[in-house]
Amino acid sequence: MAKLPDGTPLPGRLIVVEGIDGSGKSTQLDLLHKWLTSLDYAVAFSEWNSSPVVRKTTKRGKKKQLLTPVSFCLIHAVDFAHRYQQQIIPALKAGATVLADRYVYTAFSRDAARGVNPQWVRDIYSFAATPTVALYFRVPLEESLRRIMTGRPTLKYYEAGLDLGLSEDPHESYRMFQGRILREYEGMIPEFDLTVVDASLPLVNQQEIVRQAIEPHLEGALKAESNPWRRVLAAEGLSGRYLDSLVQSGG
Amino acid sequence: MSDVKFYGHGLPGEEDLKYNGKLIVLEGPDGIGRSTQIALLREWLEASGYAVYASGFKRSELASRGIEAAKQGHTLGNLTMALFYATDFADRLEREIIPALQAGFIVLTDRYVYSLMARSMVRGVDKTWLQSLLGVALVPDAVLYLRASVESLVPRLLASRGFDYWESGMDYLGYSDYYESYLDHQTRMLMTLDDLAKEYEFQVIDAERSIEVVFGDLCEAIQCLVQDLKPGATPSDC
Repeated sequence: MAKLPDGTPLPGRLIVVEGIDGSGKSTQLDLLHKWLTSLDYAVAFSEWNSSPVVRKTTKRGKKKQLLTPVSFCLIHAVDFAHRYQQQIIPALKAGATVLADRYVYTAFSRDAARGVNPQWVRDIYSFAATPTVALYFRVPLEESLRRIMTGRPTLKYYEAGLDLGLSEDPHESYRMFQGRILREYEGMIPEFDLTVVDASLPLVNQQEIVRQAIEPHLEGALKAESNPWRRVLAAEGLSGRYLDSLVQSGG
Repeated sequence: MSDVKFYGHGLPGEEDLKYNGKLIVLEGPDGIGRSTQIALLREWLEASGYAVYASGFKRSELASRGIEAAKQGHTLGNLTMALFYATDFADRLEREIIPALQAGFIVLTDRYVYSLMARSMVRGVDKTWLQSLLGVALVPDAVLYLRASVESLVPRLLASRGFDYWESGMDYLGYSDYYESYLDHQTRMLMTLDDLAKEYEFQVIDAERSIEVVFGDLCEAIQCLVQDLKPGATPSDC
């Protein structure tokens, strides 16, 4: 069960993945998502920084380099609050299993790495429900950098932490910024009881660990057959040729 | 130099902030005539030789357009709205208000964190949470609160732009009627602002009187604050 900050249990399950860039958390969450769907669990998914409400503002702030550590923190809090009130909470109240690719811990680590008062950030996000399981994908800094830097991508200004003036070289700045974030994550493991997954293991082994961590919490979780008409097709010997277009258009 | 104080945690890197300017806030409900008074005050202060910077909600380069667009869709939850306005506020504070104060300007701002708090409080947002969120705010040199009864605001509103969806509280009160909703919402806002006025020691100015009388009171209050900005000024009996 997920819980509201005042301790009220919510019928749904909230599964969160966290970790620095290149820790492989999104890959593992995607695999978990497919597994849960195959078991007919009702799953909702929410991704960090994806709310349409602030998309243009965030883009504008980044493009024009208007964002300070404080407004960077707040704009992400707007994104989170909107997704929380519109997606996460309704799904949890309905009893669904909510998968969140990054949660409040991303804000806690990044904003603290930018020098924002850690307690202020925790207060801002104090409305957020406590996850059922928060998986932290721990990876050595050098390993994550190796994964991200393959092909030497162009790092964006805020992504590289260039706003902090740690180094003028984007790659060096990124390395230092990710190092700071990593230290913040490490400190949060005991603070928020994060479940550590060794993200340097082979992907298959990691997924096994992830499923073992989640499975005990699935008993009684809401189910929703994803394609309930399948049984009709099987029983009647139909091919479902007119269903294809419905499925494609989301009907 | 002013003794600079923040309400809460303040801004990172600004712990030793010092400035010469003055931060003057005009608070009060929608339609009370704040922007008219600010326009008059600005001209009056500039005529007396002071440099003035005027600021207000939804004027930040970063967030103003986004808030406008989001409000069109009526999709903002109470926390989302509070945080979006806080973003707008922080952007103006860090990139406009503080630099202007450091350059010695008198900053006149059309509302401040108190209105943000009141609007969120009537919509059920926790006050302690709001106080922490808005703890980045500077404590102003003066808060001048233009106060009037809700009934006296209605004719002014009808004569100008009419009822607005958000200013009437249509997003949370559940009325189908704008007028009923407006009265209920503005009454709640007035009570909340009155409470904040006591807590944060606003100077209350009765705004049911004529524009020139209210202007006179505002000038008097501001005169006392700004005269020490002039070289060779002697402390007065303010």
